[in-house]
Amino acid sequence: MDPLAELKQTFFQECEELLGALEQKLQALDEGSRDPEDVNAAFRAIHSIKGGAGAFGCTELVSFAHVFEASLDHLRSGRVALDDAPFSLFLRCSDAVSDLVAAARNDEPAQARPDLLAALEKVGQAKPDAPAAVSDEPPGIAALGNLLAMVEAKTAAPAASAPAADDGWDDEPVAAVAAPRPGREVCVRINPDSDLFRRVIEPRVVIGSLPDEEIVSVACDMSQVPALEALDVTDCHMRFSVLLRTELPVEEIVAKFDFTLANEEFEVEVMPAAANDDGLDEIAPPPEVPQNVAADLSAILARLGPPVAPLPAAPEPSPAASLAPAAVAPPPVAAPRPAAKPAANDAAAARQRQAVSVRVDLDRIDRLMNLVGEIVITQSMLVECVRSLPYDVYAKTAEGILTLSRQTRELQDHVMAVRAQPVKAVFQRMPRLVRELAQTLGKEVKLVLEGENTEVDKTIIEELADPLTHMIRNSMDHGLETPEERIAAGKNPEGTIRLIAEHRAGRIVISVTDDGRGIGRDRLLAKARSRGLVGADERLAPEEIDQLIFAAGLSTADAVSDISGRGVGMDVVRRNVESLGGRISVDSEPGRGCKFTLALPLTLAVLEGMVIRCGDDRYVIPIASVIETQHLANTPIERLTFGQEVLRWRGEVTPLYRLGAVMGSSGTRDENIIIIAETERGGNVGIAVDEIVGQQQVVVKSLEANYGTVNGASAATILGDGLVALILDVDSMLRLAAAGGRPTAPELKLAG
Amino acid sequence: MTLQLGEKHFTSAQPESAARRIVTFRVGDRTFGIDVGMVREIKGWQATTPLPHAAPHVRGVLNLRGVILAVYDLRTAIGLGVTDATATHVIVVVDVEDKTAGLLVDSVSDIVDVPVSAVRPAPDLERDEHGLIEGLVLLDTDIVALLDLAAVIKDGGDAQARQARAN
Repeated sequence: MDPLAELKQTFFQECEELLGALEQKLQALDEGSRDPEDVNAAFRAIHSIKGGAGAFGCTELVSFAHVFEASLDHLRSGRVALDDAPFSLFLRCSDAVSDLVAAARNDEPAQARPDLLAALEKVGQAKPDAPAAVSDEPPGIAALGNLLAMVEAKTAAPAASAPAADDGWDDEPVAAVAAPRPGREVCVRINPDSDLFRRVIEPRVVIGSLPDEEIVSVACDMSQVPALEALDVTDCHMRFSVLLRTELPVEEIVAKFDFTLANEEFEVEVMPAAANDDGLDEIAPPPEVPQNVAADLSAILARLGPPVAPLPAAPEPSPAASLAPAAVAPPPVAAPRPAAKPAANDAAAARQRQAVSVRVDLDRIDRLMNLVGEIVITQSMLVECVRSLPYDVYAKTAEGILTLSRQTRELQDHVMAVRAQPVKAVFQRMPRLVRELAQTLGKEVKLVLEGENTEVDKTIIEELADPLTHMIRNSMDHGLETPEERIAAGKNPEGTIRLIAEHRAGRIVISVTDDGRGIGRDRLLAKARSRGLVGADERLAPEEIDQLIFAAGLSTADAVSDISGRGVGMDVVRRNVESLGGRISVDSEPGRGCKFTLALPLTLAVLEGMVIRCGDDRYVIPIASVIETQHLANTPIERLTFGQEVLRWRGEVTPLYRLGAVMGSSGTRDENIIIIAETERGGNVGIAVDEIVGQQQVVVKSLEANYGTVNGASAATILGDGLVALILDVDSMLRLAAAGGRPTAPELKLAG
Repeated sequence: MTLQLGEKHFTSAQPESAARRIVTFRVGDRTFGIDVGMVREIKGWQATTPLPHAAPHVRGVLNLRGVILAVYDLRTAIGLGVTDATATHVIVVVDVEDKTAGLLVDSVSDIVDVPVSAVRPAPDLERDEHGLIEGLVLLDTDIVALLDLAAVIKDGGDAQARQARAN
């Protein structure tokens, strides 16, 4: 599938969700909710649909959504009171949007809805309550107009030609009486289920499947049609009786409905030759009903003012020519149902989608994932156990275990794949945030998204939204300057924020880069000093000052500007990110901009790890962080003046750290191996360890849950012998090393 | 704050009028107690994995049926040095706040019912115990020091976070 088509597909999937939200919110409002957030959510949904539709050139959808959005905006802004708002119209419009989406999805011509558009335009213009009924019921009105026209035509016609004047509704053309055909009379009673239209079946088509020239009469029984207020136009309430004079055997008549009606929806009765006229009378509906309906319609229409032009949206020209005697009954069916076809398509499409995707409670997947995790542990325990078996037994068992481990891994991959989601789910919320903030702040901002399809575990996705929102807000609020300031600084008046996601070192790294003014270090430092977070005579490197932005009790809002109502500060973001085993950092260049980098594990569940040993302690280093391993003895190591060991690796000077020393391992150390690992910033580092014990999948177990953050480690795991090993976090370990074994800055420094 | 949480737990577990049921255990020649409701299980000593640069009384972490929990050496916490753990030593697994933790002690002695009125507030000399004692109970033979568990584990992993929050 080409990328655009794929994106489009994603858009339609999102539309499903958005439409669901839209409908749900409108429903809630219709049912009396007065929560402005409901209005906002509905507005957001249609807004997002419109945005996406614009991107994919669905012009009909965009223009409809635009009008819809505009009228919802009246609600949002309070120009139209919630109590006066025609929510049922809105709900119908949301259905229409759904139809339009379905049409766009299936590349079908979209059905224009001038009636709804006209009604929407009225919202917020006229006094909303006065024309409410009109704007509320446009399809109904259209339908009424059609019905009325039809009824009038019918009542007029028999009166003039009078062969069946006693039955104004019934269609008993003169021709049928005048020219009796050979054959016997057969009555076909059609009692379609109410979902007839939704099955994309029109009564006209059903009746049309009978041979034209043999139809004596068609009667429509509308006694089942409910009152207008309760009428759902997608339901079919009509019953038909068709009188045939035919020589066809019953089976053949039955066969004609094969493709349209279920067996229980019709019956074929051969009329006794003598009593055929009476029979028809019995079948024919009593005249009062249609007349009542007609009266009803007239009354209602009169109340509503001039009727909408009759038959405005009949999908096809009235097929009177081809279906002469039967033509009259079907149009009322066809006319009020311009949406029947798209709706049915939608339902069919929905069914199809259901077949290929299933919604599963995340809880269930989590349980499955946990179970897989336990199996992984058990399996590695088994591996340990069989080592002690005699060789002949061992060989067979080992083979079985090998198979088991391969299958376990496969199982695990599949479960992980179920949970993996592109970060787009979160990214797509950001353009809107930027637009809105830009408006509020009076800044011009362009948001560039990259790597939206980077996949990450669903649990992480959910945790991304908050930090991202904060980082973007921070950049927009404090980083980017106003257009005037930017021009003065010789920059493009439009600021740029780049939101980039990528996989690196077994993590997902998301960065928010702006080209604004950078962090105001002087003010930040001054603030930190005034709060006692930094000693008065303490000297901090510029980078250290930047990190103060994450300090507790020093929210960015306080520190750099006084825009209020921004909620929590970056310290809370940092804490949340760290509790997920992630990290957030900032790089700032005064005058050039600022870059927040958020690194999170791809999953919270399992990782491929290299088990290493230092002294008596074992650690797991994520294999994704490892670039290569080499023998220490073969590697020339140099010492820089301040004692830092470095090695040359691929022509670059790479710092070397001795893991045992950094982590304070117990026992005597004897480093033999150097692991070259990648850091999140893309640099490399050498880590000296005693031994590589093996490589295996490990189940990530939280240290935070029952303890707290551990410097140097992101989490722990359980090895085959049941003992716990720490999972190293290279970057955190480096910070620990830089801090000389003390718990790392800035936390301690700032906390103290 | 920690004391408050302790009280909350007691009142919810035991009505005011009822007796408090206390598990007592020994470290050296001293007896400590905690409410039985806080004890999840008692298990024999099991090797722990040390944590880098943790507080001295944090012995390390162990695997309790797939859950990682930290073990705190009560002897170190009250300033009597490090327990030389052997198979006879006992880890009392407790629920503190929303966490599960292990408490390394010499042995578990008894479960006793103590009228609430018999619990005396900790004397000022609690300072000597690093503020870990929440109250004292006089038994026939012994003085049981009721531990404030939250205070015992306080200097563990998220001490920084706590401190940061306190700021």
